[in-house]
Amino acid sequence: MQEQSLQSRQLYHMTIFTQCFSPCGKYVAAANNYGQIAIFSLVSALSPEANESSRLPIYCFKGCKEGAIYCLTSTDTFLISAGEGDICAWKWSDIHNKAPKIIWSLSLPKKGVFTNPEVNSIVVDKQEQATRLLAGGGDNDIHIWNMENGQLENTLQGHEDYVHSICLKNNGRECVSASEDGTVRIWDARSSSEAVHILEPHKTPMCGRPEMGKWVGCVAMDHGDDWLICGGGPKLSTWHLRSLTPTATFDTPGSCQNFVMYHEENVISGGMKPCVNHWYVNGDLKSQVPTTSSSIYNIAVNTVLDQLRVLSVVGNSCKIDVCTNFGYKAFSLKFVPS
Amino acid sequence: MFISDDIIKRRLLIDGEGGNDDKRLNNLLKMFIRWTQSPVDEDSNMVYQRILSTISQCEYTLEKSVKVYQMNLEEQQNYETLNQRIENKIEEATLKITECKSELQQAKRIRKNRQEYDALAKVIHTHPDRQATTKQLQSLDEELKTFKDRKQKLEEKLDSRRKQFLVLITAIHELQAILDEDEKKAEIEEQKTEEMETS
Repeated sequence: MQEQSLQSRQLYHMTIFTQCFSPCGKYVAAANNYGQIAIFSLVSALSPEANESSRLPIYCFKGCKEGAIYCLTSTDTFLISAGEGDICAWKWSDIHNKAPKIIWSLSLPKKGVFTNPEVNSIVVDKQEQATRLLAGGGDNDIHIWNMENGQLENTLQGHEDYVHSICLKNNGRECVSASEDGTVRIWDARSSSEAVHILEPHKTPMCGRPEMGKWVGCVAMDHGDDWLICGGGPKLSTWHLRSLTPTATFDTPGSCQNFVMYHEENVISGGMKPCVNHWYVNGDLKSQVPTTSSSIYNIAVNTVLDQLRVLSVVGNSCKIDVCTNFGYKAFSLKFVPS
Repeated sequence: MFISDDIIKRRLLIDGEGGNDDKRLNNLLKMFIRWTQSPVDEDSNMVYQRILSTISQCEYTLEKSVKVYQMNLEEQQNYETLNQRIENKIEEATLKITECKSELQQAKRIRKNRQEYDALAKVIHTHPDRQATTKQLQSLDEELKTFKDRKQKLEEKLDSRRKQFLVLITAIHELQAILDEDEKKAEIEEQKTEEMETS
């Protein structure tokens, strides 16, 4: 009885921060604030005979000993998780065999005895010469490791408050980061000098919303590297990088956007309202899709397999909303740790 | 009297419509045999007529079934051609759909580019016109030039006045020196006359 009530209370208070599709495109992994990672099978959830049980995780394991997992990313063989502990890598083949073990792990360099910075965002940069992992988090810096030998190659310092989100630019040569200090900085990933450009959306009258704060929570680059989109306390806005000026804003009254991405000539974003916003690049709202979670932390589109092309949304509930036609929610997967 | 299912099935298959044809043929045969056996009288004429009508009835059913068979064949042909036509149309339609899809992608891309251009144009518009700024720069340059000229002229004037004052002051000093000398000379002469008077 107590077990049951404990479990239902855990489900009620669960927040799923991040998700990631497997390299084959058939599975989706999601990680929550209890440090658990659940794997769902998209094939069985989308099949015509799907029922309640096919929308539960096929496997669930603890990815972080104590603490939450804030970000997941995947390479061809590894699932990499990071949050309040170390950055850990798990093999997808081990996960499919239900026996995952940490293949390697990286930890942020400690600056003091009592500091334990969390990692908020990780990105993998795959090049011919080497594969690198970039991580940004609570210690205000962005660390770059070489994944083949585990060496810390570079640290980009300059932010005055923790880093919310990072993304890559110019085929991995440059890195863009959004931070709580209100700046979006563009760095040269090879050198450890200061940021090449600093954008401050909260200072422009077009985007700034002083009542929401100056923090920038999400940043994304478009495919041609000409446009950057960022949002958070200031309004979600696109910036033209040649002239470093904001060009269009996306109106989300009363809601700060936590996640944004470019998808096929449109922009998809989610934030503190229970809906996923689809926009045209000039700021016009194309559609709003209601979701179960009241705040959205991550949106992902499965581009690996065409027949499993879904849009999945996670937020501060135990449900993962899956949309096959991006205009409405088809069904929800439920993160129930077994 | 052992009418089993197989026989019933066979009978139903053979007979076209109703169960009459088989019975009619049997009846015809029986009538014919009876007629050949019976003597020639008015009854036999009637039976003869009846035989003829039965024969024509059988012929009629035969013709009908042959015509029905031909009709079925033609219907089948018709459906085959229709099927083929529909298949062709489906192929065409799928081709068109793929074309339209790629056109749609292209149009979406164009729209996105147009929106980006519009956004850039808006930003550019906020900055002032290039011609206006060049004109402003030109007028400022001219003003600067005139001021420089004035400054130069004033400096030259100042210089010449200074020189003139210098000349004036040196003349005054020289005059002062001459006057001092003269005074001294006059004093010395006075002293001399005083000495001469007292001695």
